[in-house]
Amino acid sequence: MKALHKFRSMLVAASLLVSVLAFSSCDDKNDGPSGVYAEDGVFVVNEGNFGRPTSSVTYYNKSSQQVQHNIFEKENQDRPLGDVAQSMTILGDRAFIVVNNSNKIEVVNANTFKSEAVVEGLDAPRYFVALNDNKGYVTEWFAPNPDWSYRTGRVSVIDLNTYTVLKTIEVGKQPEQLLIAGGKLYVTNLGGNTVTVINTATDAIEKEIDVTFGPNSLVLDKNNALWVLSTGFKDWQAAASTYTAGALTKVNVSTNTVTSTYPFPEVAANASKLLQNGAKDILYYIYDGKVYQQATSASTLSHTQLINRSFYGLGVDPETGYIYGGDHNGFAGDGTVQVYKPDGTKVHEFKAGIGPSGFVFN
Amino acid sequence: MALAQQPDTTRHQLRTVEVFGKPAEVYAAGSRVVQLDSSYLSTYASGSLAEALMARTPIYFKSYGVSGISTVAFRGTNASQTAVLWNGLNISSPTLGLTDFSTLPLSSFGDVSVQYGPAGATHGSGAIGGAVLLNSPKYNRRGFGAEIQAEAGSFGRYAGSGSIKYGKGKLQAVTGLYYKQAANNFKYKDLTGFRKPEVRQKNAAVEQYGLTQDFNWQVSENTKLALHSWYTFADREVQPAMGSASNNDQQKDENLRLMAALEHNSRWGQTAVKAAYFNDYLHYNKTGAVSEADVNTYQVLAEQSYTYSNRWSLRGGVNLQHFSAANDGYAGTASDNRASVFALLRYDPTSALKLSLNLRQAFVEGYNPKPTPALGFNWKFYNDNKNQLSIKGNMSGSYRVPTLNDRFWLGAGNPDLKPEQGWSYESGLHHLLILGNTLLLETELTGYYMLVDDWIQWMPDGSGPWRPVNLLKVNAKGIEASTKATATVGKTKIGATLGYTYTSSEQAEVYEGSGDKGKQLMYVPRHKAVLGADASCKGWTLLGNLNYTGLRYTSNSESTYLNSFILLDVALSKRLQLHKHALVLTLKSDNVTNAEYQTMAYHAMPPRGYTFSLRFIIP
Repeated sequence: MKALHKFRSMLVAASLLVSVLAFSSCDDKNDGPSGVYAEDGVFVVNEGNFGRPTSSVTYYNKSSQQVQHNIFEKENQDRPLGDVAQSMTILGDRAFIVVNNSNKIEVVNANTFKSEAVVEGLDAPRYFVALNDNKGYVTEWFAPNPDWSYRTGRVSVIDLNTYTVLKTIEVGKQPEQLLIAGGKLYVTNLGGNTVTVINTATDAIEKEIDVTFGPNSLVLDKNNALWVLSTGFKDWQAAASTYTAGALTKVNVSTNTVTSTYPFPEVAANASKLLQNGAKDILYYIYDGKVYQQATSASTLSHTQLINRSFYGLGVDPETGYIYGGDHNGFAGDGTVQVYKPDGTKVHEFKAGIGPSGFVFN
Repeated sequence: MALAQQPDTTRHQLRTVEVFGKPAEVYAAGSRVVQLDSSYLSTYASGSLAEALMARTPIYFKSYGVSGISTVAFRGTNASQTAVLWNGLNISSPTLGLTDFSTLPLSSFGDVSVQYGPAGATHGSGAIGGAVLLNSPKYNRRGFGAEIQAEAGSFGRYAGSGSIKYGKGKLQAVTGLYYKQAANNFKYKDLTGFRKPEVRQKNAAVEQYGLTQDFNWQVSENTKLALHSWYTFADREVQPAMGSASNNDQQKDENLRLMAALEHNSRWGQTAVKAAYFNDYLHYNKTGAVSEADVNTYQVLAEQSYTYSNRWSLRGGVNLQHFSAANDGYAGTASDNRASVFALLRYDPTSALKLSLNLRQAFVEGYNPKPTPALGFNWKFYNDNKNQLSIKGNMSGSYRVPTLNDRFWLGAGNPDLKPEQGWSYESGLHHLLILGNTLLLETELTGYYMLVDDWIQWMPDGSGPWRPVNLLKVNAKGIEASTKATATVGKTKIGATLGYTYTSSEQAEVYEGSGDKGKQLMYVPRHKAVLGADASCKGWTLLGNLNYTGLRYTSNSESTYLNSFILLDVALSKRLQLHKHALVLTLKSDNVTNAEYQTMAYHAMPPRGYTFSLRFIIP
């Protein structure tokens, strides 16, 4: 029965692939920059409930403060986005939405949100980054082992014209966020203590940079310094006595070496969602259940608490410096987005979908 | 004709007037208890308890597809706020705190009844929204008897069951076996695909089997001993949601339940002692990652009841529970001890007025549940030779202690977690119309108001991990109307039940986060109605169920919903008498109108299907 299932799913995958190819070959990219969602917008990625296709994208118009829910479903004949929308990345007129538990990337027109293609055949994909119009990279975890540990994950190289996987590169465990700087791809391996460096010309691994355990997010500041945020070792099945503290690590991207490490004081505290402002000189992240900021110029961990609460999703508007926080509302109802001024005073809030986990500023 | 009908009417009347002896009702005057028809139970014997209650009562079930778990929602509460009792002892999983009704086969029970609300305060932890009461069959026969049933149906469904009964002198023994397999490879419209293509359901096959064994031994004139054992096995492919990649999940459940019950009558009244051992094993394979839980439960229930002059009845008792759970989500084995004491009083000042007062106090390691009293009355204020009219009411407290998962899950244990507390008020009218032996019409209208505080819900905390919190205060109110008719027209016997519920269940307080105050809780239909009818004549029986389920929101924000649906099931059977034996042939069709519906978002449910069954009875 198992074998039959496998055969059947291969058949389905193959037929989907054919239809994807058929789709992509006849789509035209002459939509222009106009569209319902073209201007001044914030896309809220709502993760949805795990195991059900309840993820969605909410569009928030900054100038009119109007909110539109479920824009993917609305623009695509009521077809749901999928099961757990992990992240969204905009490249020119295209938006790439990584749908983790549907093993796919939905490619839509960023201005109209009409479907352009689907990248299928992925395995627990997480984050996407594009090198140029032709090539992109996606991190994948694979399903966990029977004991809930993870084997090494991979980065798949995607052809952005045919929407097919060109190559796969084995990296560390649970590869999370990734970033391209100076022709190199930097991949944080959450389930380990390395950042993998991949040459985008050859798509081969060049180096593993050792950082603090649990790197999950990274940004490149105005001086081309790479900042990596690690949460520390916090395996839920391990004893709390074995936990280690997280840290902010600064990496020199010309030598791919660690310049400095700023460990966090609280061993048990988690750290995640490293972001920066538009000027690329202030770092923002969630640490110990609160939003912190730290100047990129600081030479010690001099961070200050900006908002005295945690968020499931965090965003910083590069234009205004406003901070967007997603309240998950227990995943039982629609989440709320709270908007703060750069100084941490709240200015606005609006309803989004289930589990608002990410923000993309157009 | 008149004589032939007599036993039915009597039985019915007895049931209605709450005779002393039915534990669920004696000390819960004014509460609403509904029993499933035996004709339905025998026709749908190969089905699950979920299917039966969904079709015959206005209770809503959330089924994760046709093979997935199926959980109940009573009076706007959630699955863990429902107690499921087998011969009086709670069988809900101590790790999850709920019962998966799809693993409970109908063929294992003698009778099934449903008690709405927490009126039966004796049921202990979890009986906030209501209780489902399952009892082993009781017989009083001489010699051998047997029944065997075989069934084949659409979507690769095959089932078989059999039972052997033996009675001699003071001993009664019954052994029952059942087996069921279903491929569940039906076609459905995939709402997540491009242009909603019709696809065949994958990963939804099930295999279930089980054994029941009941011994009843009248040791002496005043002493009875009963031994009940019940084993169920279920191996299921977990039907994925449409468009989800979790499409290889598998779940295995094994449940062993053993019970010894001793009853002794003396001049001090009736002494009843029940001792039980349950083992619940769960193995879940989630596309590679395995979760296992193995829980041993030991329970003792001891009661002393004293009845005086058919007016007073007093019962005192103690319930002890010990749980020992090995779960790979815990650090090693977790154990938990619970105890409760109760005093129940029933007093009938006149034959028309029944009063009950219950007091119960639970003791749980690490928690201090509040006492849960219950007060009820039932007053038959009008009675002529055709009509009986009663007014009734009940108010009761209830509680639910956190589950073992709530307490012991690694990294999630919340030391500040409090037990859930419920408080419920209900009142209703009951009318009985008896027209000789030709018509019996029983109508009931109940309204209730309930508050459940410190409602536990899991959610991610500030730093990521999911933990249980006392999140909500929920206010549920509603109306339940039902009418049941039994009529005899010429040689035809007709039975019909009509039930309707209106349920409003909303968040009154939210203790953390934004919440969704004032909105209907997800998966609680405001309206649900059922119509069940059967007619039998000359060995032919025609049975039909019509089920209307109103719109259900799929999140607490009322922003997404599932449309209402109507389901129709029909069964026709013919009983052939072969000398002393009988052969019953049944042809059933479920979802006759081919309705497209879901009870849990994006989990496909089967289209129209047919089943043919043969039942051979050696009386």
